[in-house]
Amino acid sequence: MRGNSNNSRPTIFIVDDDAAVRDALKLLLRSVGQAVETFGSGQEFLDAYSEDRAGCLVLDIRMPGMSGLELQQKLNERHSILPIIFITGHGDVPMAVEAMQAGAVDFIQKPFRDQDLIDRINQALEKDNNNRAALGERNDIRRRLETLTPREREVLDLVVHGKANKVIAGDLKLSQRTVEIHRARVMEKMQASSLAHLVRMVLEVGQA
Amino acid sequence: MTLFRVAEPQEERAQRLEREFQAVLDAAVDAVVLFDHEGRIELLNHAGERMFGYNEEDVIGLKVNILLPEPYRSQHDDYLRQYIEAGEPRIIGIGRELLAKRRDGSEFSAELAIGRVQGTDPPRFVGFIRDVTVRRNAEEALRRSEAQLTIAQEIANLGNYVVHLDGKFEDYWSPHLYKVLGRRYGEHYVGVYDYLEPMVHPADRVRWQQARADLNEGTRSTDIEYRIVHPDGSLRYVHHIAQITRSPEGRALRQVGTLHDITDRRRAEDEARQMQDRIAHFGRISTMGEMAAGIAHEVNQPLTAIATYAQACQRLIASGAAEEGDIRAALEQISAQALRAGEVIRRLRGFVKNREVRRELVEANRLLEDVQTLAQTDARHHGVRFILVPAPSLPPVQADAVQIQQVILNLVRNSIDAMQETPEPLREIVLRTQLDPEGDIEFMVADRGPGMDESIAEELFNPFFTTKPGGTGLGLSISRSIVRAHGGRLWCGANPGGGARFFFTLPAVPAPAGS
Repeated sequence: MRGNSNNSRPTIFIVDDDAAVRDALKLLLRSVGQAVETFGSGQEFLDAYSEDRAGCLVLDIRMPGMSGLELQQKLNERHSILPIIFITGHGDVPMAVEAMQAGAVDFIQKPFRDQDLIDRINQALEKDNNNRAALGERNDIRRRLETLTPREREVLDLVVHGKANKVIAGDLKLSQRTVEIHRARVMEKMQASSLAHLVRMVLEVGQA
Repeated sequence: MTLFRVAEPQEERAQRLEREFQAVLDAAVDAVVLFDHEGRIELLNHAGERMFGYNEEDVIGLKVNILLPEPYRSQHDDYLRQYIEAGEPRIIGIGRELLAKRRDGSEFSAELAIGRVQGTDPPRFVGFIRDVTVRRNAEEALRRSEAQLTIAQEIANLGNYVVHLDGKFEDYWSPHLYKVLGRRYGEHYVGVYDYLEPMVHPADRVRWQQARADLNEGTRSTDIEYRIVHPDGSLRYVHHIAQITRSPEGRALRQVGTLHDITDRRRAEDEARQMQDRIAHFGRISTMGEMAAGIAHEVNQPLTAIATYAQACQRLIASGAAEEGDIRAALEQISAQALRAGEVIRRLRGFVKNREVRRELVEANRLLEDVQTLAQTDARHHGVRFILVPAPSLPPVQADAVQIQQVILNLVRNSIDAMQETPEPLREIVLRTQLDPEGDIEFMVADRGPGMDESIAEELFNPFFTTKPGGTGLGLSISRSIVRAHGGRLWCGANPGGGARFFFTLPAVPAPAGS
């Protein structure tokens, strides 16, 4: 078992207060080879889940105690990126709308076709995978940014704002040659293949 | 009194006769007055003095017609003259009714008879006057009470009859009896039962014939309601009470009975019952509307489980990796969940169906359990827990289970609504049954909401009183009428631990002896 999320097999987390529905979903998803974990309440899930675990959440919108919407809100507060598919009843459209506005990836009405659910789960897993990849990349960028010296950081900021070496040299009261050296070090440390790549990376982590 | 002049063969005999005559006059109840051919009064006895208010000596020699008011006063002189001149006996012998006049001028009804004293010439007369005021009053009273009886019978739409079974007297039908039977007054009849028999509604005939047979067999009385068809084809409900009077040997002498047309009352009762059914149905429907989402969820859960299990099984089998244990467990679940859905629908159907009130023996605790099942979803969505406190070995109640469930459900829904602001760990509804000191079964629904102000505690039961946005305000009012219709009470009070408690009672059905 590998501890790090990015490489571990995604898990489908099911939260439903109805034991029969929970058990049936588990059997269905196991039959298509998915890893499944089930929880009887939102609190149980919160207690057990750690953010680095990849997968998606299949969540009953109506539950006693903590409702599906309340669980979603708590996950948002934790900046969770776990995609949520809501299971709703026929009368729950307004709640489903609220869930979507709060960032749910999808909802599915009970009872549902197995293929519909499986398709949605697959889409959610793909999205989670992409999210986690993007998140991983951002973390790499941040780590690289941390290796820059203060002077290099200054040069980077001016470079991504589109300033020419001459202008930068003037602003920082450095020789143009020194700026060129700093700039080359920045490109190297940031593993940027081009100026465009460098700019994109800085925008990605919101440091521009 | 020196009026009796008789030839006197014997002084003693004459004296004795005079004494006897005097005694007769004094004892007479009627007024006796003697007068001559000119109408001059010669004698007035004690009864006459009392009746007219004169002393005898005041009227001796006065005309007898002073005892009469006009027009009798003038007529009397004429009659007397005609009798004397033409021998026309207009006033003689026969009794007739006229008005007499007292000394004080007041008049009264009197019966007058006049006879000629045999062997007198010019003739002398004796008059007997009877005060018939009392009798006339009695006759008047009788007429009035008969009239009142007739009016009363008309108002009540009731007729009575007396049938003499020994044939010794004529049968009697009150005038209104004809109307109750849809006949013309005085129409010939052959006897109440023969008359009634073809009119009795076929559906009631067997019962009617049984009552008639019972009376003939020796029952003392009968009391029966049935329908009759009038000659004009209209259908009427009658309430028939009859009593038989028997001789000491047991022979039936006569039957006395009343026939009461209760059609209007029955129709009013039917309408009231239909109205109550409609209100109850409305109450169920509106409660239903509020519960619809919850019920849909309740049915959707097992359906979702069933569909998902079945699809999982298909996939497992198709993959060739199916393990028999998994499949068997899934099939068991499918069957259990289908039954669960069916159970929800069964309860739901019993709940919404509009039907006549049906009383049956039910267990009080089962009513609570059923309501808990119905309200479970709703309660769970509001984070409310149920605590059931059923009393052991309660006697059953005679009740319409659906209606009583509606009452409990309504109270439970009110409790759930009342606890929206209650901290979640405290959201509890206690459902309790117990035997009260009167031996009735007392149901309690207690919540931990804000409770209620004493001042509105009774207002709560008024129709259209509501504290809830979107509430109809009919729930408690309908609930109370349902409980009352079952012979119980519904009331509320504060929960000692905070919140409100609603109670209602239903009369327990005593267990049969030996059980």
